[in-house]
Amino acid sequence: MSENTLFIAENPSEKAGADQLTIGLDDLILTQDMPTSAGSKMLAGFKSLFAARVDERLREAGHHVAGKVNIGEFGFDFLGETSYFGPVVDANGNLTTAASKLLADAAVDAVVGLDVNGAQARAAALSDQVHLKPTYGCVSRFGTIAVACSGETIDITASSADVAQQVLDVLAGHDDSDGTSLPASECARITSGGSAEAATAGEAFASPITHVKVARGLLDTADADTKQLIDAVIDNLNAQGIAVSDTTAETDALFAVGNLAWNILMCAELCNNENRFEGMKYGYHTQKYTTIGELYTKSRTEAFGILTKTAVLYGSEVLATDNYDRCYDKALRIRRLISEAFAKEFANEDAGQTVVLLPACAKRSYSLADVEANPYLAFEENRFTAPAAITGLPALAAGGVQLVGPAFSDAALLRMANILSPANCAGKEA
Amino acid sequence: MDRETLLDLEHLNQLSLTPQEQDEMLAFFAAREADWETLAQIDTENVERMVHVRPMVNVLREDVASQPFSREDLLAQAPESMDGYWQVPQILQ
Amino acid sequence: MTAYETVIGLEVHVELATKSKIFCSCTNGSDAEPNTHVCPACCGMPGMLPVANRQVINLGMTAGMMLNCHINRTTTFDKKSYYYPDLPASYQTTQWFAPIAVNGYVTIQTEDGPKDIRVKQIHMEEDAGKLVHDNWSYTSLVDFNRTSVPLIEIVSQPDLRSADEVVAYLERLRSLLRFAKVSGARMEKGTMRADVNLSVRPAGSTELGVRTEMKNMASIAAIRRAIEYETARHIDAIENGTEELVQETRGWNDDAGKSFAMRNKETAGDYRYFPDPNIMPIVIDDEWYDNIHASLPELPEVKREHYVESVGLSDYDADMLTQSRAFCDCFEGAMAAGAAPKEAANWIITNCAGVLNKRGMTSDELPVPGSALGQLIGLVGDGKVSNANGKRLLETLFDLDAQGESIPEDMAAFAEAEGLLNSSDTGALEAVVAAVIAADPETAQAYRDGREKALNPLFGACMKQLKGKCDTQVLRNLLIEELKK
Repeated sequence: MSENTLFIAENPSEKAGADQLTIGLDDLILTQDMPTSAGSKMLAGFKSLFAARVDERLREAGHHVAGKVNIGEFGFDFLGETSYFGPVVDANGNLTTAASKLLADAAVDAVVGLDVNGAQARAAALSDQVHLKPTYGCVSRFGTIAVACSGETIDITASSADVAQQVLDVLAGHDDSDGTSLPASECARITSGGSAEAATAGEAFASPITHVKVARGLLDTADADTKQLIDAVIDNLNAQGIAVSDTTAETDALFAVGNLAWNILMCAELCNNENRFEGMKYGYHTQKYTTIGELYTKSRTEAFGILTKTAVLYGSEVLATDNYDRCYDKALRIRRLISEAFAKEFANEDAGQTVVLLPACAKRSYSLADVEANPYLAFEENRFTAPAAITGLPALAAGGVQLVGPAFSDAALLRMANILSPANCAGKEA
Repeated sequence: MDRETLLDLEHLNQLSLTPQEQDEMLAFFAAREADWETLAQIDTENVERMVHVRPMVNVLREDVASQPFSREDLLAQAPESMDGYWQVPQILQ
Repeated sequence: MTAYETVIGLEVHVELATKSKIFCSCTNGSDAEPNTHVCPACCGMPGMLPVANRQVINLGMTAGMMLNCHINRTTTFDKKSYYYPDLPASYQTTQWFAPIAVNGYVTIQTEDGPKDIRVKQIHMEEDAGKLVHDNWSYTSLVDFNRTSVPLIEIVSQPDLRSADEVVAYLERLRSLLRFAKVSGARMEKGTMRADVNLSVRPAGSTELGVRTEMKNMASIAAIRRAIEYETARHIDAIENGTEELVQETRGWNDDAGKSFAMRNKETAGDYRYFPDPNIMPIVIDDEWYDNIHASLPELPEVKREHYVESVGLSDYDADMLTQSRAFCDCFEGAMAAGAAPKEAANWIITNCAGVLNKRGMTSDELPVPGSALGQLIGLVGDGKVSNANGKRLLETLFDLDAQGESIPEDMAAFAEAEGLLNSSDTGALEAVVAAVIAADPETAQAYRDGREKALNPLFGACMKQLKGKCDTQVLRNLLIEELKK
């Protein structure tokens, strides 16, 4: 296990039994017995005085929290490449995330993190792992290092959908300490029990998925290998009796700008949330300073990586009085339009449920050279993950592709993971 | 966005870029301004802003006080502290 | 010579009287030892999420209604970014897009009669921490106790024209907010602070002159001096070109009696406001609105009129009582418990105020419930407790409150437990009277001979033996009866 993937807990919680899992927490999740660094020099070694709600829930359920998993600085980059502790490559020399590497090495059963901008969905899609970004508000964000609160959610990456659902069952639930946490009855819908109950009652979000709509506009921006993969998935869906059609041109037009709007919202919130790190109260501080301004500016300049600086400056600019209406306010309205476009795509007359299929990224693999050549991939190729990020809808990455479903369809999405997996597609092709 | 505006923006956000970083930042901002043009093409005239993706109202707590954290713990990671205070270079009025 | 008009608008910050802070559960009490009322959230550490305090919304609405405002039925919180060491998260959560209350007014009394000062808006927000400047180490020390203490900011229109009007406006605001229990509104404690926006223009002009803002003025006297100084400075600049007036934030040095330009660059900044995604909108339905509306107190002048016209108090007594909501509550409670109005007023204005004064407390801090005072007045009136012991019991109630103990419901039982109830045993009284007369036959004889004043030393001797625990009227009658035997 390479040094920059997992920071082992000094006092790891013990597994309560054979059914319990070994879980890594990404480095935006606060823990009391291990530092939480957010992948940043600014917070290297920072010790929180309290633990995240998800950490508490996992420990209470008897799972083994093994340690902290490295991420890109503040978790919003492309594939973890901006971590102060270094990027991670897989056995083939491709860029991946620490979470996906740990899962591939079978060092953990699942990684629980904070999905800000799709990095982990991309990594899972590139590694044939299962990633779920649950419906916004169903899992408490209490005790996470806030980046882009309006869209980010706790996420789960696992080697199988069953493990992901097992973890989700533990994490989902109301929390009074998170003002965006949904009522308990709504949180319960995404658990296996709640979903089964709702399915019996004939509620839409729990119905099996019978229609898949392909986000054709976004698919056209992916490379040939990715298109081929999606074609294989479509064949497989057809073989399973699932109807496949395309999203409308209106939806495609909105999806095409989803990441432009999300970049505005995400960077503005990131800028505001990360203002607090200035060297005065905790964390990194510059060695030599004589004024408070010098303490702030030198600490931040020395500790933040260039992508964070870029996001901070962009986020500040979109909120400037002269830009607010055409940038931030515009992005909030486009968020509404994208939500409405999804709702139209999901509308379904029969008992089944419709979801949207789209790639998770534009290529089937990335190298360190790719992110060096274009350091802004996180603001460009996030076009595939932004529609779910900006709307808070649940998204599943499995079999190298992505499905976005209506709110609370999380369990139904996870049940699709096996149909999407390349093993099934390959079987069909042969 | 020109270099002077960028300097103001750096100052406002307590950052200081190298000249080379500034060049890259100006190119980045030029690309983002093109994004804004693209967004301007979308008609949002009668569209309501969406701040919260799963809207609720009146998520409030009752007015009950509790004090579970100790000052010593809160100050433990302060670079500079004195007599129970965080300590910083003197702020001139 | 040109006549000039001073145009003044005020931004008044008032700390709300809640138990806990606005977005975290820390105690609202910035007087404590530094950094003892703090948590990771109000120290700017990552991970906590804001959950708004319901009582803050209640008090914000109350303030809005007291100042005749329209209450926005949907009100939201926004984030405002700037760097300062007393702002630990480097942003303040405030209300920018949809404040709790707008378009109100406050009526003040001026030489020319009543005048309405328009209130542009009231918004709710969190306070910043405090900086202590340590000249020895040449550092500033940061205390976050006050961070996230709930505030309302009351923004007036530029309707004020003189220092007198500003003072009248501030005094009226203070009275209304104290009456509604929104805030202690004590400038000397920093729970009420004012920013003064001032410009000067030729009388009759409708254009505004160059505006300067003086921040965080902490006493009414200082505000008066600062307004007079700034007005003169502006006129001097206009008339004599002594300096070029610029729109700026200025500080006020009350010792020097001068304002000075602040170097703080941030004050001119762009605060990057945006809606807080972690705080859901607050929607005030009719039921909530009506509940708050029903809880509003009578205005002080309405009470005053009622006290004079219907209750029959003197103007003086009514003025004294209506200074303070606590006085009014106590007075009305005492009457409800059967006390005569004049008697109740006297006890509050003389006895209660005396104890408050002795203990350095304000009238709003009167800890005695009206029912307790009413019972106490009854016990004294019925001769069950002597006047002196009545006052002693009153002090004991203050002591109980200071020790954090509750005030007893039944004053008669309390007086008995304290051993301050008059003896109702006439046999014992008769024995004391007989003993006192027997011990001083000369004085007794003097009385019998017609020297009425001779009664006083005998009465005093009886009181001494009884330790004051008797109905003085009964004792006096008994003594006279015995002497005449």
